[in-house]
Amino acid sequence: MYKRLRDSHLLRKVGVFLAILGPGIITGSVDNDAGGIATYSVAGAMYGYGLIWTLIPSFIVLLVIQEMNARMGIVTGKGLSDLIRENAGLKITFFIFVGLLLSNIGNTTTELAGVAGSMEIFGVSKYISVPIVAIMVWVLVVKGTYQIAERIFLIFSISLLTYVVSALMSKPHWGEIGMAVIHPRMEMNTRSLSMVIALVGTTIAPWMQFYMQSSVIEKGLKMKNFKLTLIDIAVGCVVTIVVAFFIMVACGATLNPNGIIINEAKDAALALKPFAGALASQVFAFGLFVASVFSATILPLATAYYISEAFGFESGIDKKWDEAKEFYILYTGILVISAIIILMPNAPLIKISIWSQVLNGILLPVVLVSMILLINNRKIMGDYVNKPIQNFIGWSAVILLTGLSLLLIILPLFGN
Amino acid sequence: MTSLTTFYLSGIIGKVAFGADGDAIGTIKDLLVNAAPTGQNDPSHQMVTGVKLKIRNETKIYSFKNFRVVKAREALNVACTRLSELRKEGVDNGMLLVENFLDKQIVDLNGRKLVRVNDVRLATIPTGTYAVAVDIGIEGILRRIGMSVPIKGILSLFRVNIPAKFILWDDVQAIDYSNSNIRLSKSYAKLHTLHPSDLADILEELGKKSSMSVFTALDEEKAADVLEELEPHVQIHIVENLPIDKAADVLEKMPADEAADILDELEDEKAELLLNEMDTESSQEVRELLEYPDNRVGSLMTTDILSFMPDVTVDEIVADLRKKKPEPAELYNMFVTESEDKLIGSFNLRDLVVSDPGTPIKDIMRKEPKFLYDNQKIDDIAELISKYNLLAVAVVDEEKQLQGMVVVDDVVEDLINRRRTKR
Repeated sequence: MYKRLRDSHLLRKVGVFLAILGPGIITGSVDNDAGGIATYSVAGAMYGYGLIWTLIPSFIVLLVIQEMNARMGIVTGKGLSDLIRENAGLKITFFIFVGLLLSNIGNTTTELAGVAGSMEIFGVSKYISVPIVAIMVWVLVVKGTYQIAERIFLIFSISLLTYVVSALMSKPHWGEIGMAVIHPRMEMNTRSLSMVIALVGTTIAPWMQFYMQSSVIEKGLKMKNFKLTLIDIAVGCVVTIVVAFFIMVACGATLNPNGIIINEAKDAALALKPFAGALASQVFAFGLFVASVFSATILPLATAYYISEAFGFESGIDKKWDEAKEFYILYTGILVISAIIILMPNAPLIKISIWSQVLNGILLPVVLVSMILLINNRKIMGDYVNKPIQNFIGWSAVILLTGLSLLLIILPLFGN
Repeated sequence: MTSLTTFYLSGIIGKVAFGADGDAIGTIKDLLVNAAPTGQNDPSHQMVTGVKLKIRNETKIYSFKNFRVVKAREALNVACTRLSELRKEGVDNGMLLVENFLDKQIVDLNGRKLVRVNDVRLATIPTGTYAVAVDIGIEGILRRIGMSVPIKGILSLFRVNIPAKFILWDDVQAIDYSNSNIRLSKSYAKLHTLHPSDLADILEELGKKSSMSVFTALDEEKAADVLEELEPHVQIHIVENLPIDKAADVLEKMPADEAADILDELEDEKAELLLNEMDTESSQEVRELLEYPDNRVGSLMTTDILSFMPDVTVDEIVADLRKKKPEPAELYNMFVTESEDKLIGSFNLRDLVVSDPGTPIKDIMRKEPKFLYDNQKIDDIAELISKYNLLAVAVVDEEKQLQGMVVVDDVVEDLINRRRTKR
């Protein structure tokens, strides 16, 4: 046998795993963005440990959906937006992508708000931090290569674990947490309902599905190594849920018993100070900053990619401006618009963040239905169509989410 | 009524066709275009030959011969004099525009890239109806969702124009034939005009199924050239999914070092299977290259080299080159060896051209040529090559026997790859 082929089997296996590692973990980390952190903090402050149980169904659905994305990407070698455009027609595609564009401008704005908020805790004005970060992100993506960005992100994702430290420093009551998870409760009113939708919606954001599928293709993964891909996805989902859990614990342990109501992630970092110490507050703020920059880098880029893919515009950061005009206009436009919104005095940030989550809530079932239809199509997937259990979980999630989203849209119409 | 009527595919789909007596016949679902290439400059390959009609609950493909599309005051009317079902050969030789073409990726042969079909422009002239151009612009998207007119109206207030983007039908190559029975090698004929690296870029962007079907339609020579240009993970996908004999044929046509790189990435069993299937000469070369560890000169060298005995004359060498027609890279540097393949000199094309035909090569060769050892570290190559401005440098083993050469193209590629993964 050949020396190059022989080079230690174990080493080769580890190598294969490291090569495959990535899409799931990165997606999982981007998932805990500024919007997510804000939602988890608010939920913890408002309901204590009361809504932690929602993380369990979220985890299951997240896992099933991402597995579907990875499988579709590997089998077809095509991005989700390609598949939707080719099979669902232009009208649905147009609806999804206009929605995605708007909600992602909203989401990017939230990320930059996270940057502004976290840097204010360290005494840096948003008029300095936001333009610097926005330009930095733009340059990193346009001038750097995908590989550098990915390495940086992987290092970034480790810093998300700072939330665990924050939570432990706030001395939570573990017995109560256990009870709250075992006996899930939910008040039946608009406020609590919209909180639950926001929690699920921020954990399973529609754009993630597109991102996941493209990263799998970019990696050139194969069905043969699908087990390793599954491990990667599972680790990513666990990271998402663990971080969410500890944020809710940190805020539930400190803010809730003292009746402190907060509106955004920055408030949480500030409010932690008197109860858990200045260090916990700064650790929280640092985590928020990193998560915000991370997502602010990926979101506009990903959005520009999917829209270009679906509508057949030339795309890619290796292209020149003239070759891929639409792509660059989209990418730059999203960043610039978001930065401008943040820098406007008295910008209605909370409204923007709520509306982009509502949009996410409406888009998610549409994207999910398209995905389930695509993945059950034998012409596209061959023998790799869904198993009944996957369809069951998928459709249950669609029905549940649609129901919840409809309620969220309808309830305010009747007043509180 | 004019003799020329142009219309869009999106404008006719969903229309009701009317009979001669003014009765509604059925709804138009799709148009069939004659896709079988019948030769250059033959307009019949873009003629609409069939129409898919839904009559009550039955959908069938009918001959388009008895249909006419007429524009009366901006409104399209489709008139049909007689319904006759299209025969199977007719259907098999065609491509359904909505099913196989609309919204799909196609190759723009002029721009050498993949684009997406937003709409198709058709024209009716007295001899028939033809597909004229493919709309790939934003205007096409807006037209499809029924917002072209209002948005153009609004934009015209600001004097902004949405430019239309069309590609002529002759300059496109459809890719997705998954639902038709057309012979693939014939239908991809236009792709042969593209340069292998352009074709490779396009294959990389296509989905797995389409990239396979395009690749298998290429002849072996072209396939080998394209395979060489592909990204590693696409190379592997293709080699793994080709039938063993076909994969072996393509690998034989590739330079041994490139083939070794691909085989090295495959699973041992599959690689062995392919090596056994390849002809002995090629597989022997590849096997030797596979022996070298990744970071050694040997793993990067090519064994396709030209070496001559010292007493051969310039004339004889040139005659030999004419006969062999070697690849361009082989001519970067040629070598002179004495008994047992010992390297004693090197020369290049210029040396041959400027010398007297009768001179023996030993008189004009560079004595003491630069060389590398096959087990030397790869990092040493770049230094040597840039220091002496070489296009290719000889590789020898410990006994100074000539083994192959390292070509600058491969060095550059290797450097770029390592730079990418290192950062």
